[in-house]
Amino acid sequence: MSSVEPGYFGLRLALWYATLFVLGSLAIVSLTYYLTAASLAQRDRQIIQAKLGEYAALYRRAGIRGLADTVRAEQSTAPERLFVRVVDRGAEVIMLSMPQGWDPSTLETGELRFADGALVQVGKSVEARRDLLARFRATLGLVTLLIVAIALTGGWLATQSALLPIRRLIAALSRIVKTGRTDERVPVSRHDDAINELTMLFNAMLDRIEGLVRGMREALDNVSHDLRTPLTRLRGSAEMALASPPDLDRYQEALADCVEEADRVLVMLNTLMDISEAESGAMPLRREPVPLADVVARAIDLYREVADTKGIRLAADVSADVVVQGDRVRLEQVGANLVDNAVKHTPAGGQINVEVQRDGDRALLRVRDTGSGIPADELPRIWDRLYRGDTSRADRGLGLGLSLVKAVVEAHGGSVGVTSEPGRGSTFTVSLPLSAQAELRG
Amino acid sequence: MRALIIEDDRTIADFLARGLREAGFVVDHAPDGEEGLEAAVTETYDVAIVDLMLPRRDGLSVIDELRRRGRSTPVLILSARRSVDDRVRGLQAGGDDYLTKPFAFAELLARVQALVRRATRAIEPTTLSFGDLTLDLLSRKVTRADVTIDLRPREFALLEYLMRNAGRVVSKTMILSHVWEYNFDPQTNIVDVLVSRLRDKIDRPFETKLLHTVRGVGYVLR
Repeated sequence: MSSVEPGYFGLRLALWYATLFVLGSLAIVSLTYYLTAASLAQRDRQIIQAKLGEYAALYRRAGIRGLADTVRAEQSTAPERLFVRVVDRGAEVIMLSMPQGWDPSTLETGELRFADGALVQVGKSVEARRDLLARFRATLGLVTLLIVAIALTGGWLATQSALLPIRRLIAALSRIVKTGRTDERVPVSRHDDAINELTMLFNAMLDRIEGLVRGMREALDNVSHDLRTPLTRLRGSAEMALASPPDLDRYQEALADCVEEADRVLVMLNTLMDISEAESGAMPLRREPVPLADVVARAIDLYREVADTKGIRLAADVSADVVVQGDRVRLEQVGANLVDNAVKHTPAGGQINVEVQRDGDRALLRVRDTGSGIPADELPRIWDRLYRGDTSRADRGLGLGLSLVKAVVEAHGGSVGVTSEPGRGSTFTVSLPLSAQAELRG
Repeated sequence: MRALIIEDDRTIADFLARGLREAGFVVDHAPDGEEGLEAAVTETYDVAIVDLMLPRRDGLSVIDELRRRGRSTPVLILSARRSVDDRVRGLQAGGDDYLTKPFAFAELLARVQALVRRATRAIEPTTLSFGDLTLDLLSRKVTRADVTIDLRPREFALLEYLMRNAGRVVSKTMILSHVWEYNFDPQTNIVDVLVSRLRDKIDRPFETKLLHTVRGVGYVLR
């Protein structure tokens, strides 16, 4: 499929080139021929006219007899012989000179009639001229053939060389399509032309495809890896129940375990997909101006009862005019996950403060807790997928909440940070670009 | 009540049919889109449950055609795709609700019943009661055995939701989306916490317990 099109294209291009070249050359050749033929005929006519003028003068000086004598003498010795006929006023031919071998039908003639009725005719054979022109035509024919040959070969070679980079591009691309090796690249030439630009664009496109494919492959690897553990637990519960003696209560218990574990797998799958989508830039974000105060209110609304029950004070300190451009639902998820994390790690009697501030052109969302804190060596790893610090292993958390926070915030063009003092608490900070509208108002 | 299930997966169709029959529905099943459409236009159903990926004719086209032929049968879409765009497309094609696989049967049943209710336009009561428990939607007052119980807004919303579905198990996901309108799974189980707070107020001081936990499935008033 790849070789037919450019071959046909190349042939068409070559034929166009050759046709134009041949037509141009033919025009020049025919023009040359006709100009030559015309000038040869003109020269013959001039010779005849000159001779006639000469004879007219002679006639006036020497009369018809004198003219006839002079012509006779001249024609026997002249290097360029002509046909001459002199007729007197009685219509009698008194002199006729016809060079040997001349055919009367191939004569070009001119005549002069004198006042007394006498006539002199001068003629010249056109055969020599015809011979010359015939030879000229033969030569021109040869030249034309040569031109056609040059045009075809030249056209072919020119198109071939013009199409060569496209051929190379096609070859490289079909190789990539066939092998699926997106890490291959089309070689870029040194010339700065359109083909080169195309090649570089192709390479850029391949870069992007490769990146996406790699991202998806990694996400798939992670997901399949992360799902193995809960699936093993699920299978284990069912298997243990089946292997033990029949017991309705035990079965009910096992089935409940299975449903709970299946739900966990589902939650995990959804969260992992969200993280992967956010990280690869594939997460659809419905951007609108979102006041961070709303995000905080939502998170507090969700966790108020939980904090109350645990004996934690949950307070907010927000400025209402901090607005970011983002997906409301996703940002609410970020707020909820941060508060969730704080509630989980803060003991009874603790305090969680959620703050919203403006810092230059950034909007800051801070969640401060008076919890257990995070050891310095664990700090960089808390954002990793499925990472759970030693202190939180006992919880039923998934270890995905903070990864999702980071992925969603970064998908919004923001950044996350954390500072912690073990034993005294941690502060998580989300920094997002302020919405342009908010900046204008500010 | 008649329900039509258009679903090509035998196992899913069977458990849906069994569950809906237990809930009092008369159930028909079509294993592909053409047969489903045929059944939906020739018979009259109170609700249709339509899978999106079907052999012979896909679910969206079934719904589209059904609506084009002037049928307003409420349709619950089932799909393995969970993106917002898919949901929007399904609802635009004429679906009335959308549920992503895998789902809890309790949630499917609640949604199906809500669709049927909406279609028959039942009159909304202003007072809900269950046993000796009453909840006044207008004055927002809750009493049990004539004792007034003071509930916080979320506790009230949870009780209202449970009472509207009295006798049916509601899942945690359903509670999250009805009480908080939150559609993600929070890491901490905020539903457990709210349920136990509510239980402290409506059950603990009384002899008969009304709010029960069905492990692995959800909660039920019975």
